Amino acid sequence: MFRLQGSKVLAVDMTGDAVKAKNGSMVAYDGQMAFKKLSGGGEGLRGMVTRRLTGEQMTVMEVRGQGTCWFADRASEINLVNLQGDKLYVESSNLLATDAGLRTGTTFTGLRGASQGNGLFTTTVEGHGQAAIMSDGPAVVLRVSPQYPLIVDPGAYIAHQGDVRQSFQSGVTFRTFFGEGGGEAFQIRFEGDGLVYVQPSERNTIAGDV
Amino acid sequence: MSAYGPPGGAGPVVYDPMTLPVDDNVNKYTFCVELKSGQWFLQKGKMIAYYGAIEFNGIGHGRLDRLVRTSFHSPLHAIDWVVADGSGKMLLADRAFDVNSYDLDNGNLTIRSGNLLAFQPSLTLKQSIVPGFLTLIGTGKFVAASNGPVVFMEPPIRVDPQALVGWADCPSPCHHYDHGYMTGVMGGLRAMTGLGGASGEEHQFEFVGAGTVLLQSTETLMAEQATGAVPSEPGVPGGGVPGGHGQPPGAPRLPGQLGDLQRRFGL
Repeated sequence: MFRLQGSKVLAVDMTGDAVKAKNGSMVAYDGQMAFKKLSGGGEGLRGMVTRRLTGEQMTVMEVRGQGTCWFADRASEINLVNLQGDKLYVESSNLLATDAGLRTGTTFTGLRGASQGNGLFTTTVEGHGQAAIMSDGPAVVLRVSPQYPLIVDPGAYIAHQGDVRQSFQSGVTFRTFFGEGGGEAFQIRFEGDGLVYVQPSERNTIAGDV
Repeated sequence: MSAYGPPGGAGPVVYDPMTLPVDDNVNKYTFCVELKSGQWFLQKGKMIAYYGAIEFNGIGHGRLDRLVRTSFHSPLHAIDWVVADGSGKMLLADRAFDVNSYDLDNGNLTIRSGNLLAFQPSLTLKQSIVPGFLTLIGTGKFVAASNGPVVFMEPPIRVDPQALVGWADCPSPCHHYDHGYMTGVMGGLRAMTGLGGASGEEHQFEFVGAGTVLLQSTETLMAEQATGAVPSEPGVPGGGVPGGHGQPPGAPRLPGQLGDLQRRFGL
């Protein structure tokens, strides 16, 4: 059972079950806990090779035991996500912990990933359970519905879930090259039905400069 | 209802275009602006997401000439600003700093250029005579970021240069040096270098008159926006005219720039 203690510490109450968490993110625990490093994100040999090839490496540990375990990472804000059979797409660097029952994997994102400076691949989390994602400043959760598509700055995007199509839109015009661009030259457009998590801060991206 | 809500209303609040606030804060770090076929000026790259049809154009865009003529009088900042034009709701944020909106009612407010995020075109933006600051004049709403919450103070007050965000309705500040700072070469050197026990608070900005002074609750400055140089003319503070007393009263003194102290001690 995931709960937040403050906005920057995740507390997980466990009764013999397990969670997967970012390596080294445990700050405290009480009760009996066993920490086991999972090579390749616990996705087996195939997952390990995929992650190595795609640059979506994450070092994950499995925590199993009885009691409460607290996780935190560099005082980042933590956001809880509930998954009911749908899929969460998140950058591996933003993923703090998931229920052990959730399947993680990698997927191709194409140009969107490139515009964020995060590479062409992203991490997926799938199944029924809870996940905790990190953001710089508390994330704002925005709903995407068929009548209200959402456009997001690549530097502020952290994750999305649900049945959402994303497309990449560019506002690069000849003016960009004269230094008179709109400052928002690259955007991601989300359509469909789902949720998008954005953080109140922008990572440094190529898009930020034009 | 969509299937992707948290069960039992627990968990994070999910916003959609109906539930997002109108021209108000979503949380301490995010501000939502509603555009109804209207326009807002905003600093480049501070939009994080939007619903609807909004176009972002650089200040130099031809169609915006009239708007820029009436509301934007700071040519040196033009490359840092864009105009959002259209209908929808737009979220603004700045490096996870606190953001707040302020209403000006036929007033004036001077603010550090790096702190100003966005403003309504009913306000006029001008470059302050104090380098590194911008002045907004008129009636309307603007959004500003600060490192930590903003505190409002009333003059007479002396403030730390790094904590100053801006001031409204009162005259520009002047420098204030503690007496010990000015006595003797050693006192000066000590204050400048910090060697030999300077308290670090020998230099302040002093405000007098009636108005409001805005302070941030930290002395860590937000990254400055490049403000460019003012025209090099006699009588223009910071104009860089050789032989003139370049540093105007009230100019933020940069570290390593000794100004008139340098002359005073013959360094």
